[in-house]
Amino acid sequence: MTTWQKARTARDARIDAGAKVAKGKIVETGDVTRLLEAVIRPGDRVCLEGDNQKQADLLSAALLAVDISKVNNLHMVQSGVVLPEHLDLFDRGVAKKLDYAYSGPQSARIATMLFGGKIELGAIHTYLELFARYFIDLTPHVALIAAVSADRDGNLYTGPNTEDTPTVVEATSFKDGIVIAQVNEIVDKLPRVDIPGDRVHFVVKSDKPFFVEPLFTRDPAAITEGQILTAMMAIKGIYAPYGVRRLNHGIGFSTAAIELLLPTFGEKLGLRGKIASQFALNPHPALIPAIESGWVEQIHSFGSEVGMDDYIRARSDVYFTGPDGSLRSNRAFCQVAGLYACDMFIGSTLQIDLKGNSSTITTSRIAGFGGAPNMGSDPRGRRHPSEPWLQAGREADPDSTPALRRGRKLVVQIGETFGEKNVPLFVEKLDAIALAEKLKLDLAPVMIYGDDITHIITEEGIANLLLCRDAREREQAIRGVAGYTDVGRGRDKQFVQSLRERGVIRRPEDLGIDPLDADRSLLAARSIKDLVRWSGGLYAPPSKFRNW
Amino acid sequence: MSVAHVDRQLPGETRAASSWYEASARERVRLLLDAGSFQEFIGPEARETSPHLRVFDLPEQFDDGIIVGCGKLDGSPVFVAAQEGRFMGGAFGEVHGAKLTGLLRAARDVKSAPVLLLLDTGGVRLQEANAGELAIAEIMRAVIEARSAGVKVIGLIGGRSGCYGGGGLIAGCCSALVVSEQGRIAVSGPEVIETNRGVEEFDSRDRALVWRTMGGKSRWLIGGADAFADDTVGDFRKAALKLLSSTADFGLDTLKAEQSRLEERLQSFGECPDALDIWRTEGVSDPRSIPALPADQFIALGDKIRRTSRDAR
Repeated sequence: MTTWQKARTARDARIDAGAKVAKGKIVETGDVTRLLEAVIRPGDRVCLEGDNQKQADLLSAALLAVDISKVNNLHMVQSGVVLPEHLDLFDRGVAKKLDYAYSGPQSARIATMLFGGKIELGAIHTYLELFARYFIDLTPHVALIAAVSADRDGNLYTGPNTEDTPTVVEATSFKDGIVIAQVNEIVDKLPRVDIPGDRVHFVVKSDKPFFVEPLFTRDPAAITEGQILTAMMAIKGIYAPYGVRRLNHGIGFSTAAIELLLPTFGEKLGLRGKIASQFALNPHPALIPAIESGWVEQIHSFGSEVGMDDYIRARSDVYFTGPDGSLRSNRAFCQVAGLYACDMFIGSTLQIDLKGNSSTITTSRIAGFGGAPNMGSDPRGRRHPSEPWLQAGREADPDSTPALRRGRKLVVQIGETFGEKNVPLFVEKLDAIALAEKLKLDLAPVMIYGDDITHIITEEGIANLLLCRDAREREQAIRGVAGYTDVGRGRDKQFVQSLRERGVIRRPEDLGIDPLDADRSLLAARSIKDLVRWSGGLYAPPSKFRNW
Repeated sequence: MSVAHVDRQLPGETRAASSWYEASARERVRLLLDAGSFQEFIGPEARETSPHLRVFDLPEQFDDGIIVGCGKLDGSPVFVAAQEGRFMGGAFGEVHGAKLTGLLRAARDVKSAPVLLLLDTGGVRLQEANAGELAIAEIMRAVIEARSAGVKVIGLIGGRSGCYGGGGLIAGCCSALVVSEQGRIAVSGPEVIETNRGVEEFDSRDRALVWRTMGGKSRWLIGGADAFADDTVGDFRKAALKLLSSTADFGLDTLKAEQSRLEERLQSFGECPDALDIWRTEGVSDPRSIPALPADQFIALGDKIRRTSRDAR
């Protein structure tokens, strides 16, 4: 007789095995490795919650300690490879195959291990792709997740860093998988329920709070005049003429400079209420002055940011908060929002080639994609109109029938022609291609494809690629803002001049901006302490960002 | 409007609104002194650049990261030197050091004008090794010689690079110091301590720890600096003027008193594991509140509990 519930039977067997080391759903810290040995089978797909920010660090240490005769050859399906333990699993033979999205701090080691054959790579994804595959062909058998607190029924409060948890639990729990949560504390009554207890099978109390990295704090003290100049050009040359209200910012210093210029430079241009009012964005401390000055109506967040909790709680008109008052973030929803409901992405990158392809990969580091390609791509499935979207579509394709013309999302790369350590931003050939050859990858890890990019801003000017009609114009438009890099010096001067006359390239003076006005006194906050003052003392920066 | 015109018209407001921390060395000098009074010695046009940096293919600056000259402070002549903390961390090299030594020797010979040292430095420029170390020794000697000749040497510290390494030693030789919250004074920097003694001894990334150990507030509270300024050029100017009128002359008695004050400080605080304990010992009821206190409230508190007997660097 055909059985249609093999997975359910297997799940029940796993729960029974796990229950032997648990009291109800609660498992003692010292018994976690035994629990994992009881419920995980060799070759299982396991999601070890490594998010962009929060980490199930207790569970990753416990998984690393398993008896590898019982647990081995796992297929890890997790968005973030962030902790050293995440890779130690492969060194020990606990895990064999990896599908992931982001590996910031482990980017050098992951490259070495991939090259040395220690890891069998499935693919490097964007967040949304990996989340999507959780529901199609990469559904976890076991999810090891992190939350702030649990009650005895297994209901979870994730706190402001909800991040990936609901997505991971949804895919695992509703497809006969096992969900194990580490929590900072077990309480009688939760502030709010982020994950219902019937989706959670085991709960472990950790001795110390789960690790969270403050990834989105940029110290205004480190913002340079070059970054201020490009930020002024962005506001006056793109935000204003397109009337961009719904957007996502990258996490670099250039976009932090934009955030800090809104209440000063932007205010002087009379742009409040006309630009930058709705964001898909983490709670960037640098946005506090703009929020306090009445610029921002609404922000939905992927995750949270260390030190911002009280501020967010007090500004619930701006942020999404639960009935308890604290932030509710959600990476999957926010990625979708950034993809479909924002008219612009603006961020920095490390390399741009002559077609406009950009990459943050260098030959020795694979940082993964994270969410930038979702933010920085033109969504072909978009159907609702908005002014910036329609205008960009018009510029790209002026001659077609308006009612049949697709709009375009504005995808803007901003940076100085020479980046950190005087490394040129513009290159003939991306390092990503050499890396793909070295690792025999089918695809070079390109963060944003050239055909999605609409504008490039450097201190030399803005190149509007929407107005380029062929490959040569595009290449010369890029060379025309590439400054004194080899790419910039390889320009056809007359051709670039003709592009400038057509407005494809616009110099600071074409925008009415004097580079000498790019001064740090324009920043609404010039230090972390200024941000604390703007917040009325509600922002509590972590110690590593203080200079008092 | 010409720049010179702006200079003559320089209002107190500009000084009050200009952050010392944010300003370049040139802006500090321009705004600190009486408007238009500054005359530079061996300025950038002389192109006295470092002979060493080019060996390492490193960028040079035409003034080698230090501005020296004379001007007027509230009508009276002063010598002034300002380090540019954004060029190689304000570090001392051969030319940089020689310019400062020369200024101090001039002050020694002229006798009638005090010296303002706008220190903003991580210490000796490693690329210039021995030449930089020698420069520190020469400067220290020149400070002491100037003071022996009756010249007051006031250090002003509140820049990005703090005052570290040989800069910390030079600060210790000055007649008096003004410091702001952002300013840090020490010889070994946080990273150096961590490298040599381990992260358990000193976590250089814990910036709150760095500031409460070496920062301006702590230095002033325990007498390591003589005046505390809010982070504006105007406040530094006021504090410098006050110290010029109040600082005692230099002699054997001053040195002996300073020695005994240092011994007393070691006795009182030697067992304290953290600055918070020092502040508590000094009578601050809520030491944790100190770092966040605005300057005016902090100065009011300090004036109540600070003991001048502790004034010794």
